[in-house]
Amino acid sequence: MNHGRRDTPHTPDDQGTAADSHTALRLEAVRKVYRLGDDDVVALHHADLRVGADEIVALVGPSGSGKTTLCSIAGAILSPTAGRVVVGEQDITEFGESELSRVRRESVGFVFQAVNLVPFLTARENLLVIDELGSRNRSAARARADQLLDELGLADRASNLPSQLSGGQRQRVAIGRALMNEPSLVLFDEPTSALDTQLGEKVMELIRHEMKARGTAAVIVTHDERMTHYADRVVHITDGVLAA
Amino acid sequence: MRLALQEMRRRPGRFVTATAILTLIALLLLFLGGLLDGLIGSATSAISGQTGDVITFSSTSQSSLPSSRVGGAVRSEIAGVPGVERVGGLGVTQVGARVPGRSERDLVDVALFGYELPPAGLGVPPDRAKAYADTSLRAKGVAAGGTILLGPARTPITIAGFVDGLRYGGQGTLWASPETWRVVQAANRPDAASAVDVFQAFVVRGDGSVRAAELARRIDDATRGSTSSRTTAAAADAQPGVEQQRSTFNQIIGATVGVAIVVVALFFALLIVERTALYGVLKAIGARSRTLFGGVVTQAIVVSLLASAIGALLALVAALTVPAGSIPFSLSPARVLGTVALLVLAAILGCSFSLRRVLRIDPASAIGTAS
Amino acid sequence: MYLATREMMRAKVRYGLLMAAIGLLVFLILFQQTLQSGLLDAFVGAVRSQSAPVLVFSVDGRRNFQGSVVTPPLEASIRRVDGVGRAGQIGVRNLPARAGGKLTQVALIGYEVEGLGSPGRLTAGRLPAATDEVVASDANRGDGFDIGQKVRIEPGGRELEVVGLAPDAQLLVTPTLYGSYDTLTEAVRAFNPSATDRPLSSAIGVGPAAGFAPSELASRINAANADADALTATDAAAATPGVFQVRQSFQIILLLYALVVPFVTGLFFLIITFQKANALTLLRAVGAPRCRLATALLVQVALVMLGGIALGTLLYAPLASQRLGGLVFHFQAGAVLFWSVLLLSLGLLSALLSVRRVLAIDPVGATTGAGVAR
Ligand SMILES: Nc1ncnc2c1ncn2[C@@H]1O[C@H](COP(=O)(O)OP(=O)(O)OP(=O)(O)O)[C@@H](O)[C@H]1O
Ligand SMILES: [Mg+2]
Repeated sequence: MNHGRRDTPHTPDDQGTAADSHTALRLEAVRKVYRLGDDDVVALHHADLRVGADEIVALVGPSGSGKTTLCSIAGAILSPTAGRVVVGEQDITEFGESELSRVRRESVGFVFQAVNLVPFLTARENLLVIDELGSRNRSAARARADQLLDELGLADRASNLPSQLSGGQRQRVAIGRALMNEPSLVLFDEPTSALDTQLGEKVMELIRHEMKARGTAAVIVTHDERMTHYADRVVHITDGVLAA
Repeated sequence: MRLALQEMRRRPGRFVTATAILTLIALLLLFLGGLLDGLIGSATSAISGQTGDVITFSSTSQSSLPSSRVGGAVRSEIAGVPGVERVGGLGVTQVGARVPGRSERDLVDVALFGYELPPAGLGVPPDRAKAYADTSLRAKGVAAGGTILLGPARTPITIAGFVDGLRYGGQGTLWASPETWRVVQAANRPDAASAVDVFQAFVVRGDGSVRAAELARRIDDATRGSTSSRTTAAAADAQPGVEQQRSTFNQIIGATVGVAIVVVALFFALLIVERTALYGVLKAIGARSRTLFGGVVTQAIVVSLLASAIGALLALVAALTVPAGSIPFSLSPARVLGTVALLVLAAILGCSFSLRRVLRIDPASAIGTAS
Repeated sequence: MYLATREMMRAKVRYGLLMAAIGLLVFLILFQQTLQSGLLDAFVGAVRSQSAPVLVFSVDGRRNFQGSVVTPPLEASIRRVDGVGRAGQIGVRNLPARAGGKLTQVALIGYEVEGLGSPGRLTAGRLPAATDEVVASDANRGDGFDIGQKVRIEPGGRELEVVGLAPDAQLLVTPTLYGSYDTLTEAVRAFNPSATDRPLSSAIGVGPAAGFAPSELASRINAANADADALTATDAAAATPGVFQVRQSFQIILLLYALVVPFVTGLFFLIITFQKANALTLLRAVGAPRCRLATALLVQVALVMLGGIALGTLLYAPLASQRLGGLVFHFQAGAVLFWSVLLLSLGLLSALLSVRRVLAIDPVGATTGAGVAR
């Protein structure tokens, strides 16, 4: 499952400017409005963001400011109300349900705020399931899962169920899971919020190490200013408005 | 316990399907039971409805009336047994009856009994050429005061009235005097004709001084083994096929109760998985395992009682809508209560499978990271 | 497959219980299906498998051997009907007898003409050649009715030797003996000395003359005489009083059991789907296509159903080759196949509710935790 996004030549579909091989994510005038009954909740006003191919961006903002919404749009889980979303070389703005599924499966990694692991699968199986869902290549996937677990210091926990792991270990498995499909962009939604400061820093260090070693771009959501020095750049968000 | 009932009230949805399944199983159990009772009743209620304590057959008859014959000598031997109060002859002939209003080829199966001691619900035998009819024959067009023709000889019998719940060999019965019976038998079954003092069995009423089983033993002793006497209930059970039917049906009912146990076990195992966190919290704030499990059992009992009630209602509706004379189905209160008891027992047994799981829940899990 | 089987491996108890429940239900269904055919075989097997193509009862006989009496005038009028090739009396009596040291009821069928009321087939031995020889129903071989054994009519003491065994030859779940009409006459006379000389026949076995079909002959006989009730052998078996009720009762029972199966599977998978909503949302969020998760669910349903069916069949197989109180059972491969297909389809159908839930899962839930139950 080696997608090697950065080496893929431009396809005619890609609209000129979007096809920038040094950009992992590009949001242009993205707006997201949730309908809540008769009310409209504007979660993102007018977001413009560009994340370089191996750049780590920290997204910082208070609770409810739209961080998760932004990540979800970037991660092909949500479609924007208006604006343009380009992930790697694909303009996913007009993508339908199944194409978005494919983008999630093949091009991005996601570490979620709440639930991250399938409870009835072991740590190793939680990584392998990504391969199962896509175009399968078992032996390569196995080798990759073992390598990832090893790098994340979980080699001896590979056959444990999530309920048998500590919070930090679970978070590391989630990171491994997000890297399984060799994504060009990984989105971390508050990866350290459930961890104490010391463990949080360790995890951040690990994320930075993994990203840099692979040359993968990352958006790390946090509301903890102390974590921002692990990023190359910090972007602030308040009430759905981005500010560098 | 209160918590358990509250959960059922607040979240009935989660119990609906389980109740539906148990209702189906209750319906099955009631249907099987009702069918068994109906089959046995339609085969033997004419025997079990005899008011005597003991029924005496000839020793080789295997308690089958048509194969049994007992004569006047046996009768006086029985009458001489201490503890015997009265002896009455009983005989039966099975024939086809032509009933007014039915087509010439459409005959009704009847069993005509000649009796001396009245069975339950009957008085002394009616006059010559008259008979009381079992109510099940009403559905076949038999009416009080009407005359039906029995057998190839077309022996006319006038219906003097109806009596409830006396069936024999799956057929409706007619109850007449011994003379009428002999006339019908001689005319339609010449090769089975019996002399004036010969019957197929004697119904014996005791004076209450000895138990029925003992009386039966004394009678067989007095006739030096030429008779085989049984209590009325035992004689009904000894009718051909009754024992096999009962044991087969009971095995099926048993296996169905097994299904109910597994279903309840499955359902509560799933429910408790869902509640692990809740139980952890409850244990952490001091609830005892016993209390928690008591709640589970309470829910199981409520579900099974509810299911039994609905099932019994449905079975009752079914019993009322089954066209008379099609399926032998009879639902007695005893059968309903027995089924409810079985189902409740199955529910308790079934949810006991989850006992270990409830005991094993660690209160510490509530404090640690929630998963 | 991966997801489906992994999950089942991790929750063996639940899936095992479900499989056990389905297995038990399948067993009950198959057993009762077999019981039904065993019962009907034992009830009217003799009617179905005797050799006369057409049986003529008296209308009064209500289509059963025990109740029917064909008088000589009726017999004569039957013989006169155009299309009757051969005709012979068949007499049937239930008599007490001692066999294998035990007292029991037997049905004795006496036939006047070989091929009209004699057993249609023998599994062993030969047809009787003398008045003290009989063929017995194969099903009762073990109860003192095997070849060479003697059956004693009681009272009277007339002894009959079993010289052959006939399959599917029982009448009214009673051990059944076949002999010549004279065998019947002598046995009845021994039992009841006050009876008339020759017992009246219960039915007339009729073979059609060349060019007549049995069903055609039957309607001709019925048209010719209002007191005659002629039926082909198969029709006579189906029309025996009680057969219809037995069929109908079993059909209702089987229907109810068949309903329990989809209910149980449907409920189980609905609860399971509800309980793992989190995991399913997460899988959708990391790119699992909808149909993939739905397929995994259906694969589980199919595996559980097939496991249950296999278990039920395994429980049923040893019972299917046994005898129970005079009933003979046969393993019914057709029934196994029929019920397997039906229950599998019902099971899959019952999971559609859960499939709908799976399809409706929104991956956004994973980002906010909204997919988390409660
Ligand atoms: N599905 C939804 N329907 C309606 N409103 C929503 C929905 N999801 C989010 N919102 C609203 O959109 C706004 C942004 O939500 P979002 O989850 O992106 O915030 P966040 O920055 O991730 O907050 P937190 O730090 O607490 O996770 C909030 O005001 C929230 O209430
Ligand atoms: Mg958030």
